[in-house]
Amino acid sequence: MDFFVQQLVNGLTLGSVYALLALGYTIVYGILKLLNFAQGEVYMMGAFMGYFTLVALGGAASPAVPVAFVLVLMFLVAGLSAGVLGVAIERFAYRPLRDAPRIAPLITALGMSFFLQSTALLLFSADVRNMDTSELISPSTGIHVGPLDISLVRILVIVSAALLMVALARFVAQTKLGKAMRAVAYDREAAEMMGIDVDRTIVAAFFIGSVLAGGAGVMVGLVFDRVWHLMGFTAGLKAFTAAVVGGIGNIPGAMLGGLLIGLAEAFTAGYISTTFQNLIVFGLLIVVMLVRPTGLLGSPAIEKV
Amino acid sequence: MEPLLELAGVRKSFGGLEVIGELDLTVAEREIVSLIGPNGAGKTTVFNLITGVYGPDEGSIRLDGRNLVGLPPHRVTTMGIARTFQTLRLFLNMSVQENVTAATYGSTHARVWQSVLRTPRARREEREVRELADEVFGFFGERMAGYRRDQPAYSLSYANRRRLELARALATRPRLLLLDEPAAGMNPHETAEVTELIGRLRDERGLTILVIEHDMHVVEGISDRVVALDHGIKVAEGSFDHCAGAPAVVEAYLGRVEDAA
Amino acid sequence: MPPVGVDEWAARVEERREQRAGLVGQALAAWDRVAPVWRLVLFAALVASVPFLTDSDFIIRVGVNTLLLAMLALGLNIVVGWAGLLDLGYIAFYGFGAYTYALLASDQIDVHLASWLAIVCVVVACAVLGFLLGLPSRRLIGDYLAIVTLFFGQVFVEVVTNLDRVTLPGKDEPVDITGGPNGIAGVDPIQLFGIEFLTPTDYFYLSLVVLVILIAGLYLIDNSRTGRAWRAIREDPLAAGLMTMPVKRLKLMAFAFGAAVAGLAGAIFAALQIGVFPRNFETPFLILIYAAVILGGAGSIKGMLAGAAVVGISFELLREPDEASWIFYGGVLLALVLTVRPWRLLAGVLAGVVALGLALHAVVGGLWPDAVAGSPRADWAFSSAIDNWLLFPEDPKTIGNWAFVALVVGVVWLSQAGRRARLLALVPLVYLAAFVWENRLMLDPSVTRQLMLGALLIVVMILRPAGLFGAKRIEVA
Repeated sequence: MDFFVQQLVNGLTLGSVYALLALGYTIVYGILKLLNFAQGEVYMMGAFMGYFTLVALGGAASPAVPVAFVLVLMFLVAGLSAGVLGVAIERFAYRPLRDAPRIAPLITALGMSFFLQSTALLLFSADVRNMDTSELISPSTGIHVGPLDISLVRILVIVSAALLMVALARFVAQTKLGKAMRAVAYDREAAEMMGIDVDRTIVAAFFIGSVLAGGAGVMVGLVFDRVWHLMGFTAGLKAFTAAVVGGIGNIPGAMLGGLLIGLAEAFTAGYISTTFQNLIVFGLLIVVMLVRPTGLLGSPAIEKV
Repeated sequence: MEPLLELAGVRKSFGGLEVIGELDLTVAEREIVSLIGPNGAGKTTVFNLITGVYGPDEGSIRLDGRNLVGLPPHRVTTMGIARTFQTLRLFLNMSVQENVTAATYGSTHARVWQSVLRTPRARREEREVRELADEVFGFFGERMAGYRRDQPAYSLSYANRRRLELARALATRPRLLLLDEPAAGMNPHETAEVTELIGRLRDERGLTILVIEHDMHVVEGISDRVVALDHGIKVAEGSFDHCAGAPAVVEAYLGRVEDAA
Repeated sequence: MPPVGVDEWAARVEERREQRAGLVGQALAAWDRVAPVWRLVLFAALVASVPFLTDSDFIIRVGVNTLLLAMLALGLNIVVGWAGLLDLGYIAFYGFGAYTYALLASDQIDVHLASWLAIVCVVVACAVLGFLLGLPSRRLIGDYLAIVTLFFGQVFVEVVTNLDRVTLPGKDEPVDITGGPNGIAGVDPIQLFGIEFLTPTDYFYLSLVVLVILIAGLYLIDNSRTGRAWRAIREDPLAAGLMTMPVKRLKLMAFAFGAAVAGLAGAIFAALQIGVFPRNFETPFLILIYAAVILGGAGSIKGMLAGAAVVGISFELLREPDEASWIFYGGVLLALVLTVRPWRLLAGVLAGVVALGLALHAVVGGLWPDAVAGSPRADWAFSSAIDNWLLFPEDPKTIGNWAFVALVVGVVWLSQAGRRARLLALVPLVYLAAFVWENRLMLDPSVTRQLMLGALLIVVMILRPAGLFGAKRIEVA
C-alpha cells in the first residue's frame, strides 16, 4: 500500500510537470498549428538558469538568503529567461515561416531543438548538475502521515503546478488577451480583421508557454535533482505525447494528458521496471492515436472540402 | 428506368447542426441536373456524401443500384463518379500532363516491379494512359492544344486551371460527373463556353452530369431538371422555369418581405 | 505570387532564365539535355574514379559515408519528398536494418547466413516494419505523425540498448540479443558473387553499385503511376483520393519502401563497420539525413544526391581539425557573397572585417598581452595569418562561451534589424564569429558539428525552404 501511494505521488509530481510542459505545447499549437519541438530545450534552459541562480546565491548548502527567497528567485530567473528565449525563437525562426507549408516550421523547430541542445552541451558540458535539494530543504519536511510520505518539495511542485494551471485556464477564459488567443487559434485572418494584434498575441502565447516550461524545468531540477543538457528532449517528447493524448489545442486536455502520462510512467517504473517507461508511454500514444486520433478531449476537426 | 444515381432519405449532421435533412434525389442516365440554392444550403455536402468524403448518418446512396455508402473515395471514383471542386484543387506543382495521367491510377494495374522493369504490360498501360490524356485534352479543342504539357499547373491561367481540373476528372473515365460551380469567376464569354462544354460532355461522351451552379444563365442553358435546396432540404424540383418561379426558391435566395402590420 | 495569367509567356520563364545565366546556366541546360541513362553512367564513372585518384584512406571513408548518406536521403525522399509524410523516426529503420544484418551474420546468436540471404531478409523485415509504423499513420495528420515517428525513433534506441538481458521462457539465464550499449561486434563481411568485401575501398564500390541501382529504380518508379500517385498525395491527399488513388495504401507503400532502402543501407553499414552500436542511430544522425534531404530540396533524385554530397562531405571535413576551418570560413564567405550585393559593398565589408581584426589585435594586444597569448587550435592553411588577426586569450573557454552567446544574440538581432544597421553590424559580427570559431568551437569539434547541423536546418528553412537544389514550389496552406 505504501508503495502504491509512493508511486501515486511520484506520478502526480511527474504528471504536474508534464502537464505544465504540455500546456506550453498546446497553447502554441492551438494558435499556430505548430509543434514547437524547441519547447523541451526551453525547459532545459530554465532548469539550468535555476541551477545557476542557486549557485550564485551560495549553493544549496549555504544560501546567502532564506530558502523561500532562493526558491522564488530561482523560479523568477528561470521563468523570465525561458520566456525571453521562447519569444526570441518565435521572432527569429517561426515568424518568417508563418505562411509556409506545414513541413517548414516543423523542420525548423527540429533544427532549433537540436541547436539548443548542442548549445547547452557546448556551454555547460555534458556534466550532470545537482541541485542538492536535500541540503536546501530537508526531506523530512513534508507530510508524513500513515502511508503518505511526501516531501515538501513535491508538495510545492504539485500545488504550484495546479495553481498555475488554474490561473492559466482562467486567463484564457476571462482576460482580453486570453480571448484574443482563442480567437487567433480559431481563425487567424478573421481575428486580424477584428482588430486583434495577431503578432502580439502570438508572442504572448509563446511567452506564457515558455515561462511555464522554465518553471517546470526548475521543478524537475528540485525534485529529481538532475539537470543536464539532454533532459529536454525526452521530457519534451513525453509532454508532446501528453498534449496529443489529451487533444492538442485543448487546455484541459493537456492537463489530463500530462497527469495520465506521469502516472503511467511512475507506475511502470515502480511495478515493472524503469527500462520500459518510455515504451509504455509510447504504447499509450499509439493506442490513443488508433482509438481516438484527435485525443481524449479533442474535438474532431471538420475540414471544409 | 433505373436511375443512375439515387439518394434516398439521406441525412447528415455536423455536431448538432443538421446540414442535410431527409434528401431524396435521383439522376437518370444522360441527364443533366442542376443543384441550386443559396450558400450554405448543403450542395457541396451532397457531393461529398456521394463521393465518400463523409458518410451519411441515415439513408442510402446508390450508383446503378450498387451501394456507395461506406466506400472510401477512391473506390467510389473507380466505380465511375468524378468531380471538380468549388475552389480548385489541382496538383499545382505537378505538370499539366501529370495532373491528368495521375488520375488514371484507378484504371491501370501495373505493380511497382512491373513499372520498374518496364514490362510489356506496364509499357502498354503507359501508352494507353498517354493516349487517354491526348484524347481528354483534345476535347477542349484549341484551348489546351499545343500546350506545353510539361509546364507546372500553377502557371496556368484561371480559366485553363478550370479546364485542367475538368480534364483530370474526365481522365478517371466517369459515367457520372459532379461539377461544383464550373462557371465560378468567369466572364460572360467564358460562361457561354462552359455551358456549351457541359452539353457536349453529355452529347458526345454520354456522361450524366450533376451540376452545382449559381449562375442562372448556365443553369437555364444546360438543365434537363433543376433541384433547389435550402438548409439541406429540397424545396423545389422540376424544370428551370418551374423552380425559378417557385416561391420557396425565391424566398431561399432573397428572403421574404414581412407584411406591414 | 504564382504566375497567373499569360500561360505561354510564364511557361517560358525557365527557358529565358537559363539562356541568361551564362556559363553555369548553359552547363546545366546541356546536362538536362543528356538522356537520363547517360547522366547516370557519367555520374557513376565520375564517382568510381575517386579511389583511383587518391591514396588517402580518409577520402575513401568520406566517400563511403557520403554514399550511404545518399542512399538514406533517397529513401527518406520517398516518404517526405514524394508522399509528403513527415517521418522523424526514419533513423530507426536504418538501425533496424543494421542490427538485423548483424544478428543474421555474426556470433551474437550464432547465425551466419549467406550475405545475399541476410540482405534480402533485412530488406523484407524493414519493409514490414515500415508498413507497421505506417499503419497508425493512415488516419493521422502530419503533425501527429511527426510525434509518433519521433517517439518511435527514440524508443528504438532504448529498446536496442536494453535487450541485452532478456529472459526467454525455456532458458535459465537471460539472453543477450542486441549487445546492449556495447552493440554487436564481429559482423561478417559481405560476400557476393564470390567477392568478399573487406576494405573501405571495397565497400565504396559496393555502395556505389547499390546507389546506382537505387537511383535507376527510383527514377523508373517516379515516372510511373506509383510515383505520380505519391506526388499527388503530397500535393493534396483529398483530391488524390477523389481521383482514384488509394491514399492509405499508397502511404503504407511509401513507408515500406523508404524503410526498405534504409534497411539496405543499414546492412552495408553494419558490414562496413564490422559492428553496430546504439549510438550510431541517435538523433544527430537523423538530423544529418534531414539536412541532406532539405538542402537538396525534398522531391528530386538529383537534389538528394547533391544534398547528400554537400552535407556528407562538409560533415566529414568538420571532423578533421586541420580541415574544418575550410567549411567555416568558406561557409561564412559564401553566405556573405550570396547576401551582400553589389560587389563593392561586399569588398567593403570584407576589408572592414580584416581591418577591424588587425586593429583590435594591435590595440588590445598592446594593452593586454594575455589577450593574444594563445594561438589557433589547428594547423590550417591560413592559421598563421589568423594568429595575427584574431585575439587569442590565454584561457579561451569562458570568454568563448560569453562570446558565443553574444554571437547568437547578435545574429538574432541582425535578422530583425533594418538594412543600414545590418550592414554596419555585419563587420564586427563576422569578426566575432571568427573569434568564437577559433577560440571556442574548435575546442569541441563534435559539439560544433552538431551545432552547425542544427543551424543549417534553421537557416535553410527560413531563407530557402526549397533547399539549395530544389525547384520552387507553390503550396496551398
